[in-house]
Amino acid sequence: MSNIDTPSGSEPEQYPIEPRYHPIHKIPRKIYDFFASARLAMALLVIILVCCLTGVTIVRGEQAWNLIFNSLWFNALLVILVVNIACCFFGRIWYRKLTVISFGMILFHVSFVAILLGIVYNSLFYFRGTIRLTEGEVLLSGDPQSYDIIDKGRFFSFSRLKGETSLIRVNTGYKIGGEDKRAAYEVSVGEEDNKKQGVIYITHKLTHDGFDYFNDKEGYSLLVTLADRHGHELYGAYLPLQSIKQKDDSYLYATGHKEGSKVKASVVLFPAPPVKPLFAMQLAYQLSKVKERDGVAAFELYALDNNGMTKDGPPYATGKAAIGGKFAAGEYVLSAKEVRYWVGMMVRYEPGKTIVLTSLWVALAGMIITTTGRMLKSGKK
Amino acid sequence: MKPELMLFWTAVSLYGLSTFSYIFGMIAKQDKLFSVGLFSALAGFFPHVAVIAMRWSATGISPFISISESLTLGVFMTMLLFLVFQFSTKKVRPLGVLVMPVSFVLLGWAGTLMKEVAATLAPALQSGWIWVHIVGASAGFASVLIAAGLGLLYLLKERNSGGIYEKLPDLNVIDVMAYRFVSGGFILYSLMMISGCFWSNQVKGNYWGWDPVEVWSLVSWLTYGIYLHLRVTFGWRGKKMAWYALIALIAMIVSYWGIPFTVETFHSGFRIDHN
Ligand code: HEM
Repeated sequence: MSNIDTPSGSEPEQYPIEPRYHPIHKIPRKIYDFFASARLAMALLVIILVCCLTGVTIVRGEQAWNLIFNSLWFNALLVILVVNIACCFFGRIWYRKLTVISFGMILFHVSFVAILLGIVYNSLFYFRGTIRLTEGEVLLSGDPQSYDIIDKGRFFSFSRLKGETSLIRVNTGYKIGGEDKRAAYEVSVGEEDNKKQGVIYITHKLTHDGFDYFNDKEGYSLLVTLADRHGHELYGAYLPLQSIKQKDDSYLYATGHKEGSKVKASVVLFPAPPVKPLFAMQLAYQLSKVKERDGVAAFELYALDNNGMTKDGPPYATGKAAIGGKFAAGEYVLSAKEVRYWVGMMVRYEPGKTIVLTSLWVALAGMIITTTGRMLKSGKK
Repeated sequence: MKPELMLFWTAVSLYGLSTFSYIFGMIAKQDKLFSVGLFSALAGFFPHVAVIAMRWSATGISPFISISESLTLGVFMTMLLFLVFQFSTKKVRPLGVLVMPVSFVLLGWAGTLMKEVAATLAPALQSGWIWVHIVGASAGFASVLIAAGLGLLYLLKERNSGGIYEKLPDLNVIDVMAYRFVSGGFILYSLMMISGCFWSNQVKGNYWGWDPVEVWSLVSWLTYGIYLHLRVTFGWRGKKMAWYALIALIAMIVSYWGIPFTVETFHSGFRIDHN
């Protein structure tokens, strides 16, 4: 075998390379030998590779996430792999001369272990939430009720989230240096004397007190008021609309809900509970082509039975009115007074992420150092 | 035909000519044909670059987004690396016998999928990380394709002797060369993965989500990580590694352009679409 390909150069090797470091006692030694086996490492790598391939071919998407990537056994495999790498690599590199080549390798494998530690640390303290706000709305940041979805680590405490979160305005067609960012949210977070305000869009987040705010999704919301025949206003609410893709690729903006990955048009109770509902309403909004935040609202009203459930059958009243206009239905008058935007914003706190992201560069540097070391060495020959 | 398309198909034809020269050179054991192959590859490279430049200047938007553009870039990097390697060392002249057919077929495939240049760049793609990402991915592909080409020459030289095979470097030199290209490719793939993590972190706030594109790139990275370890910890050399490099190349093409592009990866939700 030529000297160039011998891994550590000066010392001839037996393959597979065997560990040089061994604990003395019997039981720790058994455990250690198990983890320090290069065959175990190869087997794990191949199994993980096969799982990945399965997760993008045979089962896919959400199913793959549930069955494989988010499962306990798959994550356990990853943990075992890292323990295995640690034992394998450090057992073998022990007592070996420190050279450019082995230094790079040490950097590389250390950062692998650091990545795992970062992930574990993060999993204990992280917070991920989706907060939904209409323009002008202010919610308490530390109140779990303010979030649609919450996912958090065992040791995360809501007291970290201080003050309020508010959406000031959404700007559509937002441009930066000629690049169309589509939608940008002007938001403000934090408490009285420690507040931060800023604009977020798809490649630009807002960071405050370790929490990151990302834009996620946005939609229209119509302020719908209910008045009696004499014009006395009885009730009003912002009704968020979903954008629903139609067969001809156009979009319908209407009250709706999400079913699996599909968004479907559906009715909402109006007024919304706890106020006693009078009817169920399907609301749709047609954008004005000439003016932002203008257009026509279409109403469909359905009667409720004694239990407050929507009765089957056609709507008992339908009608349209321009934004700001009126639609009379029986003894009531409905009006879509104004158009605002609602947004879904992701709030994230990931204290271990910096360790992970930094380690990635350290790993790359290690690889480059090892490769350069090998090049230099063979260049000298 | 539009000038852009004319140039594109000229490049494909010249790569085709190069492909045939290399293959017949191999069969007829005529190393003059390798020179024909190399120079027609060089001739094809000019229109190839011109097409990319034209698309780019048409809108000012980087033309590396759609599958056809991505293939065009991958072949561009391959040709660049191949030509630099060939003109700087004269050691492995028949290398094009694998590199050229693959490039020819991939570029021809890109041609059948070609669309008009995009008028706008989706906001998620307006990030500096995209550059590191696509350069890492395409240059990584170029390196492992050349490694596979060296693997093929290794296997051929092992079985044949005389003529053109005499002029090839020793088996273990070819083997080490292939290993070099895999190491380089592995570093470039790592760069692709890291920049992808940072990009995703910038857009979504998480660096890894087991999304199909991410998993496919992990597959390509692991494939070559395993290659390196078979070599450095298990001591595999020569024939076994040459076969590995060839088979891994197929996996690479599938995991780059075969499947990921056909699945939808950006979650569609409630986002307002203004037509
Ligand atoms: C996914 C996990 C791993 C990756 C990506 C990885 C990557 C690398 C890389 C890039 C090198 C340098 C190769 C070269 O010189 O060209 C290396 C060397 C090495 N790795 Fe790993 N490694 C991993 C896990 C492991 C495991 C599980 C073991 C245990 C068997 C291990 C043991 C070693 C050893 C002993 C060397 C040095 C070999 C020598 O003496 O030259 N690594 N690794």
